[in-house]
Amino acid sequence: MAGTMTVAHKEMRDQFGSRRFLILFGLVLALGGLSAYQGVDYIRNNVGSSFVWIFSGARMSFSFIQIMVFFGPILGLALGFDAVNKERANGTLSIVLGQPIYRDSVINGKFLAGAAALTTLVFSTIAIMCGITIPMLGFAPTLEEALKIVALTLLTTVYLLIWLSLGILYSTVFKKTSTSILFSIATWMTFSIVITILGVALSSALVPLPAGDFIGTPVTPYGQGGQGGQRFSVSPEYMETMQERQALQTAIQRLSPTQLYQETASAILGVGSFGFGRQEFARTTTLAEALGNNWASITALSVIVVVAFAASYMMFLRTEIRTGE
Amino acid sequence: MENVVETRKLTKAYGDFVAVNELDMEVKQGEIFGFLGPNGAGKTTTILMLMGLSVPTKGTAIVGGHDIVEESREVRRVASILPEYSSLYGDLTAWENLDYIGRLNDQPREERENRVGEMLELVGMSNWADSKLESFSRGMKQRVGIASTLMKDPQIVFLDEPTIGLDPVATREVRELIMRLNRERGLTVVMTSHLLNEVQLTCSKIGIINRGRLILQESMENLNKTMSGGEDRRVELMLTETTPDLVRDLEVVKGVKSVAQENGRLYVYSNADSDLEVSKTIVSHGAYILLMKPREYTLEEIFMKYYNQEVAA
Repeated sequence: MAGTMTVAHKEMRDQFGSRRFLILFGLVLALGGLSAYQGVDYIRNNVGSSFVWIFSGARMSFSFIQIMVFFGPILGLALGFDAVNKERANGTLSIVLGQPIYRDSVINGKFLAGAAALTTLVFSTIAIMCGITIPMLGFAPTLEEALKIVALTLLTTVYLLIWLSLGILYSTVFKKTSTSILFSIATWMTFSIVITILGVALSSALVPLPAGDFIGTPVTPYGQGGQGGQRFSVSPEYMETMQERQALQTAIQRLSPTQLYQETASAILGVGSFGFGRQEFARTTTLAEALGNNWASITALSVIVVVAFAASYMMFLRTEIRTGE
Repeated sequence: MENVVETRKLTKAYGDFVAVNELDMEVKQGEIFGFLGPNGAGKTTTILMLMGLSVPTKGTAIVGGHDIVEESREVRRVASILPEYSSLYGDLTAWENLDYIGRLNDQPREERENRVGEMLELVGMSNWADSKLESFSRGMKQRVGIASTLMKDPQIVFLDEPTIGLDPVATREVRELIMRLNRERGLTVVMTSHLLNEVQLTCSKIGIINRGRLILQESMENLNKTMSGGEDRRVELMLTETTPDLVRDLEVVKGVKSVAQENGRLYVYSNADSDLEVSKTIVSHGAYILLMKPREYTLEEIFMKYYNQEVAA
């Protein structure tokens, strides 16, 4: 344990002193503050709004969840992608492992340090967002809302740890940092963009629209006369197909931790999520309901962290130290 | 003297490639052991196994009284390594680097701080204690690297190519530092190097490895005897004048087999110690001896002899 803490202490010092981390930290803090300000604006204009909606931004804006969906993978991967292979390349790995420590102290220490840096980032961003909005709104979160904020903080930390674990895994598997950064970017793009596209494409191919005229009778909404205001109802068959397609698309997209995080975080905040940058303040569930409805997603996110770290742990312990490492 | 390193049929294979093949090696306490061999011969792999950083496929080894597989952590308490081309952390100062090594060795703060100061002083780097390693020359980095290996007060230090990439001045400094540590602290050193003259100047014993096999293990003193054994003894002479009569007379001196002239010098090949008769003959011809030196075998000659034998086999 002493070895783990020594490595973790040194790594933390490196992380908090690195330009890479400080720039991303500053960016997340700035965007978080901006998002909170927009949230305040929305809450002020909508009586009965929940305090936690400061994390949702105003409608059509960049929310805390979206910031984390976008920057979370970058943060986690940035802290992990060269954790082990940089030591190999610099020849410091054999010096460190040449000391009377257990070999797993190195990988454990690196994970602990990365986790501490990410936890600090999430906690401080959320704390600062709350800190600047409470005086602006003039009221504090209720107990239920405070618990929701804690749950959001923990969930976001777990989500970031997924990317840290994947980064460390790549840094263990690949000897070159250039390879591990390429794989990191590829993974991020796969889970953030490719799966979304794949979900749409596959669901469209597997669930085709019914043949024939699916548009129902014209409907003129109240107060909107004329052609411009006219809307059309859709046939029940069409609605059913679209729901089926949407369900399949969501199921495919749930292969991505990004989707799982987005859905769960939105449920905790009591908002509906409609993709990048768009949120609908439609649902107001309690924390217990949100956690109950999304326990599978929370479990899946936690399992990904454990599996990715366990894989890098096993691989690191089995890796042979070769010349120049 | 007690063996600090003792290997028995130590073998390391990566798939079908056998990097180290049934190595039997002994290093005694207080020796500076030069481990020689061409690139890819298995020197570094052997060192990594001896440090407990790589698990042998077969065979055993004891380092500082501990089994390298069963007690690898204990081995790393008594042995240190400075890998080839390695450096400590460039973004840390010399002091911070050594302090980190001390922490990894679980040294209490006060002991650690004293030790860091002492080691930096020992390698002549006290004035740069607070400078970052990235600003150091290769020679300075190597000195801090050697200091880092001493943080745990080891019985034995493995130095993999410690003078590689160093300029002549730095090479000499590192060589003198290794010899001083051996002389003053009784430190046992195993070093690999491609600079054979460096090894010859530094080491008391050498081992030659080729294609994973140890083909020679001998003290430098015995090597010269072994090299000359069975071969003609050669004496190099520089005289004030050399005449054909003198050469003819030298050729008939008892024990002399042949005399050769090269670059103004005479080389007398004999199978017995005939130096006295040779000098008498020279003086009897009215010449004076400016230089009379028995041949010393260079490590390069020794290395090439055994290496070529192995290759031919």
